[in-house]
Parts: sequence; C-alpha cells; structure tokens
Amino acid sequence: MKPSPAVPWLFLSPFLALFTLFYLAPVGYAGYLSLFIKKRAGFGPAKDVFGGFANYARAFQDQDFLGSLGNILKFGVVQVPLMMLIATALALILDSHKGRLQGVFRTAFYLPYTIPSVIAGLLWGYLYAKNVSPFNQISAALGGVKTDFLDSSLILWSIANIVTWTWTGYNMITLYAALQNVPTDLYEAARIDGADGWKLTRFIKLPLLKPSLLLVLIFSIIGTMQVFAEPFVLRPLGYVPDNITPNTYLYLVASRDGNFSYAATLAILLAGFTFLSSVAFLRFTRRGGEL
Amino acid sequence: MTAQPVAERTVPVTTERSRAPKPRRERFAGWQLAVLGLFAVYSLLPLWWVLATIFKDNGQLFSTFGLWFSAPSHLAENMHVLLTRQDGIFGRWLLNSFIYSGATALGGVIVSAMAGYAFSAYNFRGRDSMFTLILMTIMVPGTALVLPLFLMMQKMGLLNTYWAVILPGLVNPFGLYLMRLFWDAGFPKELMEAARIDGAGEWTIFQRLGLPLVRGGLVTVGLFSFVAAWNNFFLPLVAVSRDNLFPLTLGLSVWNQTSSSSGQEPIYTVIVLGALVSILPLIIAFLALGRYWTGGLANGAVKG
Repeated sequence: MKPSPAVPWLFLSPFLALFTLFYLAPVGYAGYLSLFIKKRAGFGPAKDVFGGFANYARAFQDQDFLGSLGNILKFGVVQVPLMMLIATALALILDSHKGRLQGVFRTAFYLPYTIPSVIAGLLWGYLYAKNVSPFNQISAALGGVKTDFLDSSLILWSIANIVTWTWTGYNMITLYAALQNVPTDLYEAARIDGADGWKLTRFIKLPLLKPSLLLVLIFSIIGTMQVFAEPFVLRPLGYVPDNITPNTYLYLVASRDGNFSYAATLAILLAGFTFLSSVAFLRFTRRGGEL
Repeated sequence: MTAQPVAERTVPVTTERSRAPKPRRERFAGWQLAVLGLFAVYSLLPLWWVLATIFKDNGQLFSTFGLWFSAPSHLAENMHVLLTRQDGIFGRWLLNSFIYSGATALGGVIVSAMAGYAFSAYNFRGRDSMFTLILMTIMVPGTALVLPLFLMMQKMGLLNTYWAVILPGLVNPFGLYLMRLFWDAGFPKELMEAARIDGAGEWTIFQRLGLPLVRGGLVTVGLFSFVAAWNNFFLPLVAVSRDNLFPLTLGLSVWNQTSSSSGQEPIYTVIVLGALVSILPLIIAFLALGRYWTGGLANGAVKG
C-alpha cells in the first residue's frame, strides 16, 4: 500500500512550523524593520516613519560599524588560518601513530570546547588582568615588564587567543576523525608506490582532508562574524571599544540607544556578509583551487 | 573532489599486499611529543589556574602565584558564599541551565529526527530544493536572528518565560542535516516496504523500526543541542531579564559585572568556583559519551 502524499509533510510539520516562526519570520521582520527610521516631529517623542533604504545608506557611512567590520576582518584573516594550521598539524601528528598517549592528548585538546564562551572569556579575563595574570607574575619574577592584555591595542588579539583556545581542539577532532575514516588500504598502496612521510601527507592526506577543511573554514567564518560573548564579558575588566566586533556594536545600538530599526539593518547586513563570504569560499574551492 | 583520482589510481594495487601487517610505529617522535605536549599545556592551563584559584580568597588571588596552590584553603568559604549569595540563586541558575538545555536537546532531537526521516525516507515534490534552502540558513549567523526574535517575542508575550529560551533552540538546521545523514546511512528503505506489506502504519515504521536504528544519531544530535543550549548567552541575555530565570552563563556574567563595580566586597574567587561548577556537567558528559562527540562534524564532512 502506498502511503498518502501527505505523510512526509506530517513528519516535517513540527520542524517547518518552528523554522518559519524562529528563522524565516525574524529575518523577514528584521528586513521590514530596517526600512523605518526614527523621526522627531516638533517637540514630540521620536516616531518610527518609513525611510526606505535610509538605514542602509547610514550603515555604509557609519564609521563605528565600518570599524567593527574592519576589526573582524583583521581578526578573521589572522585567527582563522592560524587556528586551521594548528588544528591540521595536530590532527596529522596524532594520526601518524597509534599510541597510548593518543587518548590523553585528544581529551586535553577537546576540553576547551566544552567550556561556554562566556565562561572562557571570564576565566581568560582573570588570566589577562594586569595584577592577577600569572603571565605577568612570571614576567615580573624574571625581571620583565607587566603587559596589559586588555589594553585597546591588544584586546582584539586577546580575544582571538580565547577563540583559538576554545575551537582549535574541536576542529582538530573533526579533521582527525576524517583521517581515521580513510581506509588503511589507501595508505598501504601509497607506501608501496613510494610515498611516505611528507609525501604521504602532501599528496594523500591533505587532499583527503579537503572537504573537512572546507567545512571547518565555513564554520570558522560564520563563528568569527558572530564573536560576542568574549568581548562582552571582558568589557567591565578593561577598555573594550564599543565596536570591537559587529555584534557588540549591534547589541549596544539596540540596548543602549534603543534604535531597533537601525540594529535590525545591521543584523541584515551582517547576515548578508556572512552568507556571501561563505558562498564565495565554497565557489572558490569548488572550482578546483588546491588547498 | 580532488581526492578521487588518487583513490582510483592507488586502490587496485592494494589487493595483493593488503594482508601485510601495518607498519605503524607505536611511539611519537620527540618533536611530535613536544608539539603535542605544548598544545596540551596551553589547552589545560586555564583549567589548572581554576583548580588553584578556588582554594583562595581575594587577597590570595592578588598576592600569591596564580598557577600554584596556597594555604590556608578558602574553598569551604567560597562554596558557602556561592550557594548562599542572593538567597542561593546560584542553585536556581544551575537548575535553569539543566531545564533549558534538557528541554532543547530532547525537543530538538524529536523535531530533527522526524524531519530528517521525511527527507531521507520519502520522495516528495520540492524535497531537494527545500533541503538546500534549509541548509543555506546555517550560514545566517544566529545572533543576527536574536534581535528581531526579541521584538517578536515581546509582541507574543514570551519574554521572561522559559519558552523564550527553549523554543528558538528547538529548530536546528545543522541537526536536521546530521540526522538526515544518519537516516540515509542507517535505515534501509526496503525495510519500509516489508513493514507496509505486513500492515504497519507509517508512524509505527518510523518509531518502532526506524528510531532504534539511528540511536547513535539521536545521541549525537542531542548532545550537540545540549551543549549549544548550555553555552548560549546572547539569546537569554535579551530574552530574560528576571534573575530567577537566568541560566548559569548569564548569572555568572552579571555577578562578574556587578562584583567589580557596585562597591560590595568583590567575590572574584567565588565566581571562579561558580565557573568550575558550570562547566563540570559538560566535562562529565564529554568524558562519559566521548565517542559520540566526534561523530557530528566529521560525518558531515565525509559525506559532504
């Protein structure tokens, strides 16, 4: 007996209902909101009036917003490749041998991922605080200077370190698992063909890792665009600029300035940038760009 | 993908020699051990600092070496403050975190398992384009959704309720994607035909026959949802403002803000102890269910 064509839709209905309500509707609503601007008529309170694309025009001239994008671009260009490089190197080393220490290292590398980013930010905040930091204690004991890791010139990289600490092990496990899924026959064959050590890595393992590396890259780009909790918890400890990341700026525009329509505009732009950069990377690598 | 030609060229050679024992050495080389050890120290250093700090009071936090223990111990005192400050609200936050994460994981698994089943087991019009559309939303940063969600929930009267934090977490495009992979791999479609001939209904086939076959997928997706909900910060930050609805992440961050600014006695080491308590459940879950943690992303990558 053939099932009724309605059956798959019944299975889909809970997901689709929630997806519409909590994914599509917010995006649509943000798009709608972004078309309104606050206008003050005479002495009355500010009113939301239709402003067309005025908010978008404003965003592209908003030095604070552009600055936040610049920050996150700097952050991404340095942090993402560095993290991927370390994760790949660790995965390749772990995969090259089978030893008892393997499990120990894997667990140690993975533990930071289990720690919420707020808590990670909080703990690193103490490790950074000028007068508490054990790094400064060691430096002082050796006759060196104390560094203020929360200074505005260093803060972006202090945050990058927290993100690297949290995610490198997680990405390493992803890559490592992909390596472990490779049939050992393939390695045997390569060895017989004379590929060993570096050659095996370069011509067999790295190409096999490509889809996983791509996945890690896309998720890292998405994650980078969203950095929020770490700078948010570091704010009370040191000088963190309002626009250190697009998300902190967006949050302040909404919560401090109460300008929801402009914040919605920034959310739309941010989602658009993330989407475009992910698609661009997918396109670029699909076209046969070697990793 | 570019790996393909390599595989095609080399695999046939193996047939004659594949029975040979694997020439894998048992030990890491010195430089490899050094690299691994260095990174292990980096990964564990903050946790080690936490272990040393929970025994200190604020004076010792500033006056003693951060990476070592110091006497006398103030652990009992810190624990007492943690559990009694603001009428013991920390316990409430811990409970809230379990409620938010447990409900999100359970509900999310059911929703994703059903939807993944629909995509995997049935062929219907618009299936592939809809799946692609849903997958594309993985690239929309979740935080971009939070602000409009806040305004919508305000209109619906959901703010400052448990639902405000749980409901948005139930729908997880990546969980759906993973779940579909598990259904594709673990549930042979011939079983459906056979069960139908035996007179089983569609729901019975899904529940009795299907679900037990994708148990690993259910645990993996549930675990990821649980961790995501436990770690979530932005959503509760805007969705709940009453402190008895806070999850641990939000509560500790508020303590961290107020303890340094409100003129009260600072409670830094108490907050560090609270941080340790808040990460223990996930560390325990990780150590107990380790094999499921690696399943998620890796599966996606291999198939993708």
